[in-house]
Amino acid sequence: MSKIKKNKKNVFYDPSLKRRHFKSKLFKYFTLSSLIVSLAFLAIFFIDMVVKGSSAVQQTYVQVEVSYNEQSAENYRDAVDKKYLELLSRAVLREIPMQIKKNPSLLGTTKVAWMLADDQVDMYMKEYYYKISNKDLATLTELIENGRVEKKFNTIFFTHGDSKTPEYSGILSAMIGTILTLAVAMFVAFPIGVATAVYLEEFSEQNAWSEFLEVNINNLAAIPSILFGLLGLAIFINLFGFPRSSALVGGLTLALMTLPIIVVSSRAALRSVPATIRQAGYGLGLTKVQVVKDHVLPLAFPGIMTGSIIGLAHAMGETAPLIIVGMIAFIPDSPTSVMEAATVMPAQIFTWAGMPERAYIERTAAGILVLLTVLISLNAMAVYLRKKFEVKW
Amino acid sequence: MAKDKAKIVVKDLNLWYGDKHALHNLNIEIQKNKITALIGPSGCGKSTFLRCLNRMNDLISSVRVEGEVVIDGKNIYDKDVDEVSVRKRIGMVFQQPNPFPKSIYENVAYAPLKHGSVKKGSDCDDLVEQSLKSAGIWNEVKDILKEPGTGLSGGQQQRLCIARTIAVKPDVILMDEPTSALDPISTEKIEALMLELKKDYTIVIVTHNMQQAARIADMTAFFHLGDLIEYDETEKIFINPTHKKTEDYITGRFG
Amino acid sequence: MATFESKHRYAHLQEDVIKYLLILAATISILTTFGILFSIVFEAIEFFQLRSFVYFFTGTEWTPGVENSKFGALPIFAGTFMITAIAMAVALPIGLGSAIYMSEYASKNQRTILKPLLEILAGIPTVVYGFFAAITVAPFIVKISAAVGLEASFNSALASGVVMGIMIIPYISSLSDDVITAVPDSLRKGSLALGMTKSETIRDIVIPSALPGIISATLLGISKALGETMIVVMAAGLRPNLSWNLLEDMTTVTVRIVDALTGDQAFNSPATLSAFALGLALFFVTLVLNVVSVRMIKKFKEKYKMSSL
Repeated sequence: MSKIKKNKKNVFYDPSLKRRHFKSKLFKYFTLSSLIVSLAFLAIFFIDMVVKGSSAVQQTYVQVEVSYNEQSAENYRDAVDKKYLELLSRAVLREIPMQIKKNPSLLGTTKVAWMLADDQVDMYMKEYYYKISNKDLATLTELIENGRVEKKFNTIFFTHGDSKTPEYSGILSAMIGTILTLAVAMFVAFPIGVATAVYLEEFSEQNAWSEFLEVNINNLAAIPSILFGLLGLAIFINLFGFPRSSALVGGLTLALMTLPIIVVSSRAALRSVPATIRQAGYGLGLTKVQVVKDHVLPLAFPGIMTGSIIGLAHAMGETAPLIIVGMIAFIPDSPTSVMEAATVMPAQIFTWAGMPERAYIERTAAGILVLLTVLISLNAMAVYLRKKFEVKW
Repeated sequence: MAKDKAKIVVKDLNLWYGDKHALHNLNIEIQKNKITALIGPSGCGKSTFLRCLNRMNDLISSVRVEGEVVIDGKNIYDKDVDEVSVRKRIGMVFQQPNPFPKSIYENVAYAPLKHGSVKKGSDCDDLVEQSLKSAGIWNEVKDILKEPGTGLSGGQQQRLCIARTIAVKPDVILMDEPTSALDPISTEKIEALMLELKKDYTIVIVTHNMQQAARIADMTAFFHLGDLIEYDETEKIFINPTHKKTEDYITGRFG
Repeated sequence: MATFESKHRYAHLQEDVIKYLLILAATISILTTFGILFSIVFEAIEFFQLRSFVYFFTGTEWTPGVENSKFGALPIFAGTFMITAIAMAVALPIGLGSAIYMSEYASKNQRTILKPLLEILAGIPTVVYGFFAAITVAPFIVKISAAVGLEASFNSALASGVVMGIMIIPYISSLSDDVITAVPDSLRKGSLALGMTKSETIRDIVIPSALPGIISATLLGISKALGETMIVVMAAGLRPNLSWNLLEDMTTVTVRIVDALTGDQAFNSPATLSAFALGLALFFVTLVLNVVSVRMIKKFKEKYKMSSL
């Protein structure tokens, strides 16, 4: 339209349109740029997490001579040359006396080993802000020159639980805690959610009661998650006396939050099963329960699963209510039952994010990347399921 | 058919929906201050052709148009023609009445205010009144101008849409089956309105209803499968058509 | 005949048992709502027996830890309001703009990619946003402010507000996109046929038609912002601060709830119970927002006879 020239013969020439077309373009660019801004946020966010978290893939190790003798069996400070003490991870050194106790044949031996470095050394090697005394720094420089400092793949992050020393902390106990908590949540929410959906779609009549149920489920979905935490605290902990911080309490709380998601998606799945299937069942003389159980539910199952996976992903990222029921305790060892104190991935991220040591930042970001990877995989699985079993009636 | 009375001259018009050749080499001259009816069986291209006359087909990205539609001496498909300006001069009324979810007054005043052809105030009030009067609905709505246009009956809504179109002061009004969604009484009112309007406007109407074409149209064009089979005075088409296909359609042998 | 009878009766019994089990399951959701309501209400009542109800809503001092503790929640409400306002100032234009682009300008293929991409923003756990706000955005705001000669707190309301806004974008854009797409095409054609430009048609005809849905989405977004916890716990402050300065630290209802319940105060102390009084206020406000929001979308659905949203 910008090509419109002044043309006496052109009866459609209208100079006033120029401004309107300009405004129209401006409006389009405004909407486009808001979309670009949203996507840019998403990109910045992911790039930021990768940049902050990628250095956690490696962890610094220092090669030193470790001597297992009478003194070091009592005091780990004697296990290595004094000048290396500040460069090595306290958490690992502290285990030496225990190792000797467990395996007395070690006594009197020495070996050259790659020992986990202190978090400040690790920060130095990763070129972050570090705090090392000049004397230690000189020792470290010498070690580096001799090729005795190396960054290796960070297995600790995946094989250990939380620790007060950042270089020795990992996500294992939080992962186990997450699995236990979600297991409880789904064990409770899935059957109740599906049953509620079946009742509302297949059995209940359109009356005040079913309408009340429906409004209630809608509202439940909109209640801020932290209020579920208050419920968990007041009912499960104070009233029922379930152990605080346990996967049981956390799981039950999350179950109630996930319930509306499962109900809504299961109802949609049930509704998409055509009435002809039901009529065919009744035509064969089947009872309502038989029709629903043998014909309607199997057909709606993929849709129900999709919704449940999305609900699961939702529950997995939830933090606020779990903080209220105490799932932010310091948990170095993985819980072995749902009654034990546990923590979950997002709560672990929260705790690390609040730590003063610089070394926790990369671990927080790495934990976030792990969590996001799991969440995205779950959602991708849901989308795949939906695509695969999508039936056009 | 005096040449100087031709309002719209269509030359070798072809249209494709993607790969589908929907209109074939159409040539037609639409006369000023006459009602021209486009008839033919479903899918014959009559509505597609109508939309070519105000470039509404531009909204469908897969559509490609070749040929000329010359209105007042200017081909509207020329590069230097703005389709928005075309639609200002060539109004359109649709099959389903589609009043905006605004008041009756705003429905009519919206476009003229945006075009800057009137200013808010008494000028605008006059234009709204005039347009509603021309559309024959003034007496029914003059006391409820502030109420939503969507609250009117179907026939009233359609006349409101006509008023809305008139308010822009077009030369030509295109009507795409304007009465097919209405009851017989509303239809009668709209037909009477069209006969009134042709004094000031050139009207092109697509209709499924052959009686309607016979009742109101001066000229009738018969379309079939994207071809213009016959175009002549309405009486000639209905009483003594030249083509066998036209006759078959008129007498109800297909359609 | 007898076997037929008994079998029949057995089947009936089974049907009834299953039906009652289903009703029982359905009741759980109702119990949950009332569980939340009662667990909050009872503790809140206990709190208001210890401290003034009126002062809670009008007082400006919140000093839970000290002797003669005072519980005036006004600065907390104000902080919540400010951060929510910032979040909506970010989310509403960007979310609505994105929705308009997706529904009116983007091709169908683009839309099927863009929409889920935006919804990723809603799937990111809030704790992750909190980390992003605290570690990346807040220091950035401090730096920018310093560059222009302003002093910003590392717990500025602006940082948590903006990040919360990003989180809410998809809540606004997805629902708005749905309702804008549901506006009948005949209205667009009617406007374009009058010689309106595309943007005029969108602004004057399409958006007003979709307005109930857009308002509904906005209310939902506000409700999300009010109840959001992790972002503010990690990035906003603890200090009840009655101020208009977005660069200062402020606290919110949710932050104080978390703070009150993770401290080592006795459960029956007013400091701990104050969490439930704040929770009660949050519950009612979000409930009202949600009920109004559902009403509006229902109205829209009836108007355009939409079946699924």
